[in-house]
Amino acid sequence: MASVKLTKVKKIYDNKVVAVHDFDLDIKDKEFVVFVGPSGCGKSTTLRMIAGLEEISEGTVEIDGVVVNDLQPKDRNIAMVFQNYALYPHMTVYDNIAFSLRLQKMPEDLIYEKVTKAAEILGITEYLMRKPRALSGGQRQRVAIGRAMVRESKVFLMDEPLSNLDAKLRNQMRAEIILLRQKLNTTFIYVTHDQTEAMTLADRIVIMKDGFIMQVGTPAECFDMPANLFVAEFIGAPKMNIIKCELLREGDKYYVNPFGTKIEVTGEKGRELASRNVRAGKILLGVRPEHITLTQQGGIPTRLEVNEMMGSELHLHVYTEDETRLIVRVPTIGLTNEQRKSMVYGSALNITFEGKVMHFFDPETEKNLLLD
Amino acid sequence: MKKQEMEAQAAIKQHMGLKASARISNTVIYVILVLMSIIWLIPFICIVLQSFRTESTWSVGYILPKQWGFQNYVDLWNSNFKRWYLNTFIIALIVAAIQTIIVLCMSYTLSRFRFKLRKSLMKFMLILGMFPGMLTMIILYRVLKDLGLTESHAVPGLVLVYVASSGMGYYVSKGFFDTIPKSLDEAARVDGATRAQVLYKIILPLAKPIVIYTILTAFMAPWGDFVFAKYVSFEDPVGMNVAVGLWKWLTPDMINQRYTMFCAGGVIVAVPVAVLFMCLQKYYVEGVTGGAVKG
Repeated sequence: MASVKLTKVKKIYDNKVVAVHDFDLDIKDKEFVVFVGPSGCGKSTTLRMIAGLEEISEGTVEIDGVVVNDLQPKDRNIAMVFQNYALYPHMTVYDNIAFSLRLQKMPEDLIYEKVTKAAEILGITEYLMRKPRALSGGQRQRVAIGRAMVRESKVFLMDEPLSNLDAKLRNQMRAEIILLRQKLNTTFIYVTHDQTEAMTLADRIVIMKDGFIMQVGTPAECFDMPANLFVAEFIGAPKMNIIKCELLREGDKYYVNPFGTKIEVTGEKGRELASRNVRAGKILLGVRPEHITLTQQGGIPTRLEVNEMMGSELHLHVYTEDETRLIVRVPTIGLTNEQRKSMVYGSALNITFEGKVMHFFDPETEKNLLLD
Repeated sequence: MKKQEMEAQAAIKQHMGLKASARISNTVIYVILVLMSIIWLIPFICIVLQSFRTESTWSVGYILPKQWGFQNYVDLWNSNFKRWYLNTFIIALIVAAIQTIIVLCMSYTLSRFRFKLRKSLMKFMLILGMFPGMLTMIILYRVLKDLGLTESHAVPGLVLVYVASSGMGYYVSKGFFDTIPKSLDEAARVDGATRAQVLYKIILPLAKPIVIYTILTAFMAPWGDFVFAKYVSFEDPVGMNVAVGLWKWLTPDMINQRYTMFCAGGVIVAVPVAVLFMCLQKYYVEGVTGGAVKG
């Protein structure tokens, strides 16, 4: 259990490519932090710098108050789970888990105790004498977690541990990681490109792009108040609809005019705009697909192009008159059979959304107008 | 119905036809392979047969001995052959050990570490390796002569010669190491292993085929070498290896007394290598082809 502090951490490769820019982050003891972002955003590089597998070009990494920049991975008191499991193929599951303990010259009976306890927690006791090649993907990942568990390290690092698993197993393992976290009660740093994993696992999410931190916050903060357009589109599935329109001001009231309509900004969002005295002008309006509703009268006329049946909901890809593509999430539970059948290619649908669920971004800086 | 039956029969006939043509082509291939094997084996069979010939010691115009026996092997035992054999064995064993360590360390370093001029160094060694070793023969002889490692002291001299350029033979094993995921090294380092522990606890057990391939090739080169051995030992009976010793028995003044002993010597030289290859051929093939395709 330990805190991890990164101060102005930078990674510059030999070919002068800067992979991580001035990364500042303070991870509290026992916190579960997830680095999330698209491929090449520098999340794995940052994790590897914390692990000591990648040299730190500038800045400092502290674990439990000690600067570890020049320490070898083995001296940093960390454990790590790799994306491809990285199990030693010539060793049995037991030997894989016991490897680090044997390097510490721990007595064999104590090793036995620790390995069997970890195996029991992870449900892999019956596979202890098998080689990794005789295990399924999920079992292998459990062994990899077991190997990290027995080290009882201060910090638990996970580099896309679920990426190689199929969707069903991924969901199952995700739940197991949540349980594991409760059992281990240690500091976790987890890397993923999957925003669902980030949202479900994290105490705090660090969203990255091109080596820069875009936003640090709780899953709810990142979802409800995205710092910029990138975060808005990255967090949430399907991604947020972005509409070019104008913010209008009439006294203390604010309105937006998407597709020739006029919608009042209400609730918290309206009050926030007024208190910040936001100037009227061109904006990028963000509306999440689940916040758009179908309406019989009025609203914005659209044409349905694609209807994706997701089980409990429909994802409708609709086009407005000016050919702007929007995605609408409609729960199937409120739809009649007739309504469902009518939603076919080319059918006309009217949509609307409320003023309290909108997000406002500066078209030039792409920053959220309601955040500093 | 009839049409369907006819179609089925046609399909069966076509299948049988394909089967027959496959059988014919296989037969032709096997006949060619058997013929090639016989041609390839004839010299070996001749040498083995001659080594058991006891009616005369010189080269005769027939292959099958008229009198069979082990006299040539007994004579071999009582000759200088024992010393040459021991010289060769000691050289090959030491070279195999040192060269294997150097090659594996070199390959691992070039595969895993990133340092300045790494690629230039690899290219430089590749180009250097294209020059025949014979070019260095004269200067090597001068250096060894000055160090007193020639003639009767040729054994350590030859070890030095064979081991000197070991590092340049890194290509095959580096290719093999490249196929072992780097994340295994990283996992072991996080688990608490030093770089050296990663090499001998993780990488080498996984690279068994390439280790065996390296040992075999390192053993084979000095085992069968003639040119350097002849040059460095300068035909001194104490410093000669088995190839030079046997060659001496084929010189015009000795061939009539030693020809059948030469054949027996040839058999004795071939036996350990043949046994070694037969036992380890599985690893040898894996080692040679291991780096070719990413597994």
